[in-house]
Amino acid sequence: MQALKILVVDDDPVTRSLLMKRLSKAECVVETAESGVEAIRMISNTYFDVILTDLMMPGGVDGIGVLETAKENNIKTEVILITAHGSIDNAIVAMKKGANDYLQKPINFDELILRLSKIQNLKHLMKNASDLRVAMETTEQVSSETIQHLEMTVAELQERMLTIRKTLERRDLPPGERIRMALAG
Amino acid sequence: MSISRPGHQDNKKDATLSTSRIAVKPFPAIRKRITINSTEIQLFARYINDLTGIHIEPSKAYLLETRLGKILEHESCDSFTTFYYKAKADTSKIIEKQIIDAITTNETLFFRDASPFELLKHKILPEVFDKRSNKSVRIWSAACSTGQEVYSIAIILRELLGPVNGTNLKLVGTDISDAAIKQASYGMYNKFEIERGLPRERLQRYFESHGENWKIKDEIRFMTSFNRFNLMGSFAGMGKYDIIFCRNVAIYFTLDDRIKVFNKIADCLEPDGYLIIGSTESLTGVCPRFVPKRHLKSIFYQLR
Ligand SMILES: C[S@@+](CC[C@H](N)C(=O)[O-])C[C@H]1O[C@@H](n2cnc3c(N)ncnc32)[C@H](O)[C@@H]1O
Repeated sequence: MQALKILVVDDDPVTRSLLMKRLSKAECVVETAESGVEAIRMISNTYFDVILTDLMMPGGVDGIGVLETAKENNIKTEVILITAHGSIDNAIVAMKKGANDYLQKPINFDELILRLSKIQNLKHLMKNASDLRVAMETTEQVSSETIQHLEMTVAELQERMLTIRKTLERRDLPPGERIRMALAG
Repeated sequence: MSISRPGHQDNKKDATLSTSRIAVKPFPAIRKRITINSTEIQLFARYINDLTGIHIEPSKAYLLETRLGKILEHESCDSFTTFYYKAKADTSKIIEKQIIDAITTNETLFFRDASPFELLKHKILPEVFDKRSNKSVRIWSAACSTGQEVYSIAIILRELLGPVNGTNLKLVGTDISDAAIKQASYGMYNKFEIERGLPRERLQRYFESHGENWKIKDEIRFMTSFNRFNLMGSFAGMGKYDIIFCRNVAIYFTLDDRIKVFNKIADCLEPDGYLIIGSTESLTGVCPRFVPKRHLKSIFYQLR
């Protein structure tokens, strides 16, 4: 399975480096941003499978801002919000705006890894489904051309056979003449 | 017969994850999936064939397990045999309908294959209107699933005729699945269904957003009607149609049933009417009453 590409957004350097270390160990490809503003710049240049962003950040762009930009950019990006302990209401607002999940601080890394592995499974399934659809559409396209061609050819041949039979059955002509006419079509 | 059971692999996988610190329940809620044996496969294959005409190969047992398993559990049956007799004995036919909903493949999309709708717009409808002074037309989509085919036809009609008052138009969609017909007549689609086949301009012009979903506008909805109808049954009282769509349904039937269905369809078609079948389907060896005709990239059928 392909490694998840993750963007960590948090103004707190300790959280950033901790997440960086843990996620890299879990074989994710990780990049970090110090602020919402920096995150938005990165999102518009690169695709991330998952964005882990703090909800409350200084500097004008908070977690919701990151979420909105991420979803506008690519609906396939999954966004997980990190909220301070006890601020569930904010998290619910975020979920309504399209966040896929939220985690409360202090972050439980095992829980985080578990959720990421679920996301990875889901992405894998979605890729399978879309590959299957493309394969099916290609097969359908090619076979429909073949079938339509056969359908017309068979119909034409049947018509020809019918004309030939009628010609061969004509009693008003000598047999040789019937055969000549039938062969001429 | 060995049947792969994905549920078990999932359990194993999650169990390895649960060695981590946080407490993950050892999945007591997941009961052992009830499996189907070869006698039961025969039993259900025959039952479903009698009900719907759908032919299930014995090798496709997984299809019965995955699609019927939920209903079976919901009915608290401990085996497919008990489930079979419970379904048969249910005079309200509720279980039977659920089985039909579960076993039918409702896969469809707006403007599927594109070319039949071009054919309709540029050849068939102009020809029909030329012949009828009052611009009346009767169209039937004979296995319309969740309605995308019918609304695609309606949109073509709307674009060709302008606002349609409906008196000269009959556009009916039928399907054996209650659930499919219910969604079709409601005309509501989620973002995955809407994404498929529908260009943005048509989406914006003919649908309105309802939260996460999209609903067909009333001006289009009013042009259509939907009914439950089984192609295996009698066609008496169906009347005659100028145009019949019967796409991607007969592929699930045996050749014998396909022959019967297309003969009944031939009886319902006006002498100068048009039949459109799925892009990978063929009527060769099925119904010699129909002659295939080509127009640009598509094929349609008319009576001999
Ligand atoms: C794959 S969908 C095709 C939908 C649409 N015509 C299209 O081509 O996109 C097949 C539909 O046929 C319906 N069907 C299966 N058996 C049927 C029967 N005996 N009578 C009527 N409809 C049936 C199923 O419920 C399903 O919705």
